Amino acid sequence: MKKWIAGAALAVAAMTGSVHAEGHGDYPERPIMMMVSYGAGGATDFQARIVTMTAGNEDALGMPVAIVNRPGAGGRVGWNWFATEADNDGYTLGAYNIPHFIAQSIEGGVSYSTDDFEPIANWGADPAVFVVGADSEFNSMADVIDYAKANPGGLTFSGAGLFVGHHIAALQLEKAAEVELAYIPNNAGGAGAMRAVIAGEVLGGVNNLSDAFRAQAAGNVKILGVFDLERNDFLPEVPTMMEQGYDIDNASVNFRGIMVPKGTPQEVIDHLAAVVPTMFENGRVQSRMEAGGSPMHVMTRDEVLDMWAARQETLEELLADL
Amino acid sequence: MTDLPRTQHIIASGGIAAVGVIVAYISFTQEPADAFIFPRLISSVFAVLAIWTFGKAVMGRTKVGNGISGEAMRNMLPGLIVMIIYVFWAAKALGFYTATTITFFIMLSLYDPAPHGAFASWAKRIAITAGFLLVMYGLFALLLNVFTPREVFF
Amino acid sequence: MDFLFYMGDVFTPINFGLLLLGTVGGLILGATPGLSPTMAVALLIPFTFKLEPQQGLILLGAAYTSTVAGGAVSAILLKIPGAPANIATTLDGHAMATKGEGAKALQLSFLASAVGGLFGVFLLIFLTPVLARWALAFGPSHLFWLAILGVTVIGTLDSSSVVKGLLSGCIGLWLATIGFDDIMGAQRFIFHPAVSGGINVIPALIGLFAIPQVITMLTKGRTGSNAEIITVKRHPIRLAFLEVIRRKTALIIGTITGSIIGLIPGVGGQIAGLVAYDQSKKFSKESEKFGTGHSEGVIAAESANNAMVGPSLVPLLTLSIPGSPTAAVLLGGLLIHGIFPGPDLFMNYPQVAWTFIDSMLIGQILMCVFGLFIAGLAARVARVPHAVMAAIVLGLAVFGSYSVQNSMGDVYVMASLGLGMYFLERFGFSAAPLVLGLILGPIAEANFIQGSMIANATVGTGTYFFTGWLNWALIGIVLVSVSYSIWMEIAQRRYTTKEEAVAKEEAVS
Repeated sequence: MKKWIAGAALAVAAMTGSVHAEGHGDYPERPIMMMVSYGAGGATDFQARIVTMTAGNEDALGMPVAIVNRPGAGGRVGWNWFATEADNDGYTLGAYNIPHFIAQSIEGGVSYSTDDFEPIANWGADPAVFVVGADSEFNSMADVIDYAKANPGGLTFSGAGLFVGHHIAALQLEKAAEVELAYIPNNAGGAGAMRAVIAGEVLGGVNNLSDAFRAQAAGNVKILGVFDLERNDFLPEVPTMMEQGYDIDNASVNFRGIMVPKGTPQEVIDHLAAVVPTMFENGRVQSRMEAGGSPMHVMTRDEVLDMWAARQETLEELLADL
Repeated sequence: MTDLPRTQHIIASGGIAAVGVIVAYISFTQEPADAFIFPRLISSVFAVLAIWTFGKAVMGRTKVGNGISGEAMRNMLPGLIVMIIYVFWAAKALGFYTATTITFFIMLSLYDPAPHGAFASWAKRIAITAGFLLVMYGLFALLLNVFTPREVFF
Repeated sequence: MDFLFYMGDVFTPINFGLLLLGTVGGLILGATPGLSPTMAVALLIPFTFKLEPQQGLILLGAAYTSTVAGGAVSAILLKIPGAPANIATTLDGHAMATKGEGAKALQLSFLASAVGGLFGVFLLIFLTPVLARWALAFGPSHLFWLAILGVTVIGTLDSSSVVKGLLSGCIGLWLATIGFDDIMGAQRFIFHPAVSGGINVIPALIGLFAIPQVITMLTKGRTGSNAEIITVKRHPIRLAFLEVIRRKTALIIGTITGSIIGLIPGVGGQIAGLVAYDQSKKFSKESEKFGTGHSEGVIAAESANNAMVGPSLVPLLTLSIPGSPTAAVLLGGLLIHGIFPGPDLFMNYPQVAWTFIDSMLIGQILMCVFGLFIAGLAARVARVPHAVMAAIVLGLAVFGSYSVQNSMGDVYVMASLGLGMYFLERFGFSAAPLVLGLILGPIAEANFIQGSMIANATVGTGTYFFTGWLNWALIGIVLVSVSYSIWMEIAQRRYTTKEEAVAKEEAVS
């Protein structure tokens, strides 16, 4: 009896299995999974959940996107899995963070690089900012750098980890201001780094603009400078680093978007690349992102490919000096 | 205690001591040293405690732990084999639901005390298997939207 | 007394309906292995997109409260802790269930949860400003000492041999170092692709507790079972109330420990239950009964893990910093509605903020009532024949550990750890200290490294880790805890012979 049932199971399975093996004409025909390499509740996770919330609509993908978190080691755990083990059948998407994964791939010790991923579209750009506690004696970047010059290596400031956007910003600051700083990577991500600033464990910190904006609104921190080419709409009164006399470009700006593993069928990539940007443009998505204080920046697949290549070059140059 | 548990204790604690020593060796030889400060600390304590336990086991002074009796070993062996095949091969190769159905049914057939000759006991086994699978499918596939491997079947 | 003013809002038909939905749904999700409260709340976030802010938060608040308590159901009945918070509940809770006292264990756990939970939420209501300062007081050095304090608990936790307890803890600490290290990003001990991302705590929990359970059931074989059909004892709810009142020491220790530890960002929620269990074991007059199905164990563990719910939200609501993963998810739930938590949250959005807090209060009570109602029924799970039970637990373990990250690797890790743990348990090692090591390892390491980086840039390692009243206090508690354990060990040696130790083992297994 056991054998009979198992045999029948296998027979039916063989029949249904052959149907599945056909082309990708009706992609997607089941829910899609999206890997986020940071923990639930972090900025990337939170934004990923918003921008995919309309995926189930008929004019979007027509199937819901389920977020799966694979946090650890500043994103390395998630992206390593995505490059080496994720299925490339189009049902496994991933969220990317630039410059994080490119910097990590240049620094080494991981099994991924830009060649292992195919971008789909970009949804957001979150610049790094320099924050200090609300009662800090520092009121401008000049104060910070003066302190650092008086105490070489003694200016402690927090960030979300090694070789993530915050760390790139920190390296750029060190280079541009020609000082030695003590960058303290936090294991609890941006939220942990912010906590360290507010609690006074460190003298300052590099953090996401979206989180810093909230912390400033709550009266916990002062924002001294933006690591971007121009001032941000959320913080029109905060000057850029360039304005304050430090030659720092937008290499640390945290671009977030969706990608698939290399080897995903071209028609699936094309379909996603056409549909996903319109999904980001959806009015409900836009209003939710705005409400959450998350700057949006929609880019198509071709634009993202260019941006990846440009970042690869800048970062190789920056990290070569280390 | 008889001699069987003592031998088992020696084997078990010997295995752990071996793991402890290997871990300590790896911790102290791998680079970068910065990333291995903590593992070095842990593995040293680990190795020392493990060797101590091994020593106690060899001298037959182990106080706790009853070992595994021959009867228990015979009883669990078929189930253990089914379990290992299920987890490490069938779940992925046949798909979760198919593999779970088969494993569940085999487990019931192996360990359910109801007589194998009676039709009623087989009907009961099939009913329980079907019920369990329905609950799992409803909970994980429909409610939670978890996409488990489904090589064959659903 | 603002919270009373907004209490009425909880009872409008829609809001109350959502509260009921959140509570019942939360209990079910919480009882599902593999679904931690964080994941359960994250799953509910999309449902709140379409709701008003206030309604969305009612749903999330109720779900958070009841998933934590729901984890106790699978911990007691199946010995699968739903989340790290419920580990301590398995120790005595499951022992009670196998004795046929499942109904009693469930009733006690829900009552203790409600008492602890209500206390925690009241702390949140009345003492938030004071508590916020306390939550910020813990820097890297303090968190490091706190983790060390947790490690000292290992030796005395659920193990008849201190050496084997510590060795189990060391194995856990080592397992925690597998994978990428959290700060440097270096790869360590990756001997198989399944562990390249490190060992995830939830699948490890499921494996370490559930699989030995399955194998133990298998060792009984096909024939032996008829001899021992467990009679599930009925247990009137009235007696459960009396029992909780009679065990007030455990209840008070659990509630207070849970509230204090729950407040500490990043550490609290995971170890509150275990620390409370250990403390009440040390203070109890019947400490030798712990681990054999003793009601104090369940009461202390469950009151602690629910007491932490309220305080764990303090940093979020006052400083806009999420103190725990679940709080981070709740932050997302607030942000999508354009509400920024912070000191003026209660001024700008009093209706949302207070209704949220009120819904947690009412949610605790609903959860308790509902829990007491189903306890008698749920306890019959213990009567399920062991063949069926083994198959069910195995299936749940595989599905549950897969669903955490949609990963086969996690299933392999779960099963391997579980198989290993069965054999270790037969030789006197135990799962609880191992898991504690697994949880505390990364906390101790990351804070040690961060602390020494800050120390090197500023005052020096010695000053940073060994001065300041909070460091001294924590070091003091560590020393007291260690000496107490040593003293207990010596005292026990004097009175316990090898035969007695073996007899106790037999009673437990």
